[in-house]
Amino acid sequence: MKIQTVVLTALIVAGSLFSANAQDASTILKKMDDVMYSPKDMTGKNKIILIDKNGKQEIREATIQQKGTDKRIFRFTAPASQSGIAVLSLPNDVMYLYLPAFGKERRIATSAKNQNFAGTDFSYDDMESVLFSVKYTPKFVKTEGNVYVLELTPIGSKSDYSKVMVQVNKTDYYPELMEYYDKGNTKVKVAKYTFKKIGDYWNASEIEMTDLKKNHKTKMQMSDVKYDTGLTDDDFTVRKLKQ
Amino acid sequence: MEKLSRIIIKLKWIIVASVLALTIFFGYQTKFLTINSDILSSLPDDDPVASLYKEIGTQFGGNDMGMIVLETDNVFKAEVLQHIKQITDSLKYTDGVSTVTSLTNILDIKSSEWGIEIGKLVDEYNLPNKQAQLDSLKNYVFSKEMYKGAIVSEDGTATVVMFTLLPDADKQAVAKEIKSKIENLNLPEKLYFGGLPMMMNDISDLILADIVWLLPIVFVIIALILLLSFKSFRGVLLPLLTAGIAVIWTIGIMVVTGYELTIISNIIPVVLLAVGSAYTIHVLNSINQSKEKDRKQALIKALTYIIVPLILAAVTTAIGFVSFVFGAYLTMIKDFGIFTAVGTLIALLLSIFFVPALISAFSMYRKKIETDQAERGNILTHKILQPLVNLLFKHPKYSLTAWGIILGLSISGMFFIKTSVNMADYFKKDNPTRVSEDVMQKKFGGSLPVFVVFEGDMQSPEVLKMMIKTEHFMKEDPNIDMTQSVADLVEQMNDAMGEGKMIPDDKAKIEQLWFLLDGQDVMTQLVSEDLDKGIIQSRFASVDSKNIDEFTSKMNKFIQENNSENIKIELTGMPSVYVKLNDSLIQSQFSSLILALVMVLLIVGLMLRSISKGVYATIPIIATIMILFGFMGITGIPLDIATVLVGSIALGIGIDYSIHIITGFNFHLKETGDAEKAIEKTILSSGKAVIINVISVAAGFLILIFSQIVPLQNFGILVAISMFGSGIGALTLLPIILILANRKRKIVANNH
Repeated sequence: MKIQTVVLTALIVAGSLFSANAQDASTILKKMDDVMYSPKDMTGKNKIILIDKNGKQEIREATIQQKGTDKRIFRFTAPASQSGIAVLSLPNDVMYLYLPAFGKERRIATSAKNQNFAGTDFSYDDMESVLFSVKYTPKFVKTEGNVYVLELTPIGSKSDYSKVMVQVNKTDYYPELMEYYDKGNTKVKVAKYTFKKIGDYWNASEIEMTDLKKNHKTKMQMSDVKYDTGLTDDDFTVRKLKQ
Repeated sequence: MEKLSRIIIKLKWIIVASVLALTIFFGYQTKFLTINSDILSSLPDDDPVASLYKEIGTQFGGNDMGMIVLETDNVFKAEVLQHIKQITDSLKYTDGVSTVTSLTNILDIKSSEWGIEIGKLVDEYNLPNKQAQLDSLKNYVFSKEMYKGAIVSEDGTATVVMFTLLPDADKQAVAKEIKSKIENLNLPEKLYFGGLPMMMNDISDLILADIVWLLPIVFVIIALILLLSFKSFRGVLLPLLTAGIAVIWTIGIMVVTGYELTIISNIIPVVLLAVGSAYTIHVLNSINQSKEKDRKQALIKALTYIIVPLILAAVTTAIGFVSFVFGAYLTMIKDFGIFTAVGTLIALLLSIFFVPALISAFSMYRKKIETDQAERGNILTHKILQPLVNLLFKHPKYSLTAWGIILGLSISGMFFIKTSVNMADYFKKDNPTRVSEDVMQKKFGGSLPVFVVFEGDMQSPEVLKMMIKTEHFMKEDPNIDMTQSVADLVEQMNDAMGEGKMIPDDKAKIEQLWFLLDGQDVMTQLVSEDLDKGIIQSRFASVDSKNIDEFTSKMNKFIQENNSENIKIELTGMPSVYVKLNDSLIQSQFSSLILALVMVLLIVGLMLRSISKGVYATIPIIATIMILFGFMGITGIPLDIATVLVGSIALGIGIDYSIHIITGFNFHLKETGDAEKAIEKTILSSGKAVIINVISVAAGFLILIFSQIVPLQNFGILVAISMFGSGIGALTLLPIILILANRKRKIVANNH
């Protein structure tokens, strides 16, 4: 009788602990999504710095407009040869590319999402603003200093990654570090985040993505960020793209 | 010389001790010996064709490309696609692998009326499995030039998975891991491994197998021959001991000076065992024949007699080896020449200093069986040498005629000599690497990489249009199936923008199309990072030197006509290197032979203080070299990186027999004053050493027949033939010449 009670209690405690942790993991991830994707819209300047294995740098600049999580226009301003090139991303993997030298746009369908975006170390997959809690199942690993460590497993089999290890800031719930593992369980990419508070929102002022295999790095730096300026769906059309 | 002999005996303990110390030191060094199976690293840096090839191959990753061919009855089957994906994934998750391209992960860019579709040729997470899907995939693959014959063979029975290695990866280790990983998948289809990384891994295995298997056999064979001829423990131990020590020292010196074992230097131990034991054989033979009662006195006398011919023999042999240094194209052949020469000289020093010191120090004198020995008079002397002497004296003309006929045949055979530089030929026909190469050639237009390098602004319409023009020109050659360049991709993107499959005239358009190409894996294989250099990658399907010659000269003419201020075009790749290698084979054969011959003539003439005797000594060896080339022509053994060595080696070793005969002749002539008697004595005494020497050296080299590397097999056969040729030449042709020259001199003298 006594033993049974002890076992039962232990089971209940263990079970609640377990579910508490599971709960925690998805709560933490949801909070992280909130921090990252809560603004209604955003405009800003984006500086892309490509750094090769010899430390040589190449710099591109673009302006960004984004509405919600799934509408975005990238418009390149530098270097001169790429100035005016614009990319419009719409929901359901619809993308339009505008090349000013041709004076026309083309629709791009990319089913190959593991391809890198325009020579950066970000894949189309990484650039997608799909909520992490939609793409991944989280598991709580540990608390470490200032961060929660979560292990994210992709939902469905269509990811190139086997898991992503995320460090989430304990107080403000923005991600500090993400480590991507391939299916051979080798760490292939690392993203380092620097967040700053702008107005009511936390802004990723710099994301540094390192491709560990190629020893190649991309820094994306944001500046002149403005939130909730009232962008409408009309700002994200093909006609707008060509302007 | 007698002084030297006395000093050697006096310092016996010091000599033995220092040899022991050095052997321990060098023996320890051999632990650090590494194998370099990278044939490309042997291409000379001072040759523009070779250095460009190395540079391009490294910069654009072409040299680090491996291939796995999967062969079945029909590639377009659900389970076959599944297996291709398995291989692809397995490669992708191997450390050291940079990129993998296969049917199941290749990027496919389609342009349609509404835009561009960038996707995978097949969805790797949802492989086609319905017949309709498979059929449509097949039709699509065969409709696109970039897939047909490139990733799936034209008959649809084979597909290739290509991978590149990271530049800092340990290529051999990665190749080894890949091979075992893929083999462990136990796929039902036939798999072939190709490309330089895989080939090098195989070669390195072969080199190791050769060393491990051949060396002990050579040791045993030489030991048996020595036992049969000397019938004493000493006669077996000492030659093998000195040769073995010479091998250890040479390998040790290689390690200390930072050299690696190559496909060629692999045979240094075999060569040194065979050559190095010879000097001790002569020392022992000389001691055995000494009739001095006092043992020490006998040793000194024997040594005094043998030192000069021994130095002569070793120096000429070393010259034969060193002659490669000046003629050879591949650095590994130069290295081989240097280190075998070093080893030869070490063997010489050991047999002069170490052997007598050892005999004297440990009282390894012969037991008193001399009368018994003389009694049996040994078979060699009675059954072979004595009849030989009789024949020579009675019928010198017959012997000469026989030689004349053999030489005549050989000269006509020489016209049929072929050359071979194709690396696949170096493997036996059933070797997996060779089979893979054959399959690659049959199904995918070969694996010989061809690069056309363009220097200029890679985004200028002028350069890109020239690339397209060059590709069209290349494809006119029946041996070029596919070409790939950034210009093709730009054309494709321009088409995707709805402006047709062509290079735009406006540079701004090209720069913006580049936006779509940037970051694609294939780009690093096609253009340099600074966009000032780009290449056309292609493969050449034939290994026939005539086809290769035709192609390279046609291309070079085209390049000359189209080089301009803004575009610098160069051709490189394996075919270009093969042409160079092929030319250099004949050239280096010629130059190293002439060099060796002149040097040997000079040295022998100088040491014997008679140029005419120097000439006499070289006659048997020249005859031998003619026989050698005649044999190669008649049997179809080609001149290649290993067999090109035989001529000079045969000269260097073969001349020894003549030297022994001539010095013997001089010695006995002084003793008896009668030339004919001197010859008879020489043949009966030195003849024995020559025959033992020929047989042991030839047997040592013949063991190379069991080598895994075809040129080394041929090398063994050819050296053995040369040994018999020069040995018989020294025992028949040379005495005849000496007899006739003497008779003539006598007649001249009598007439005066």
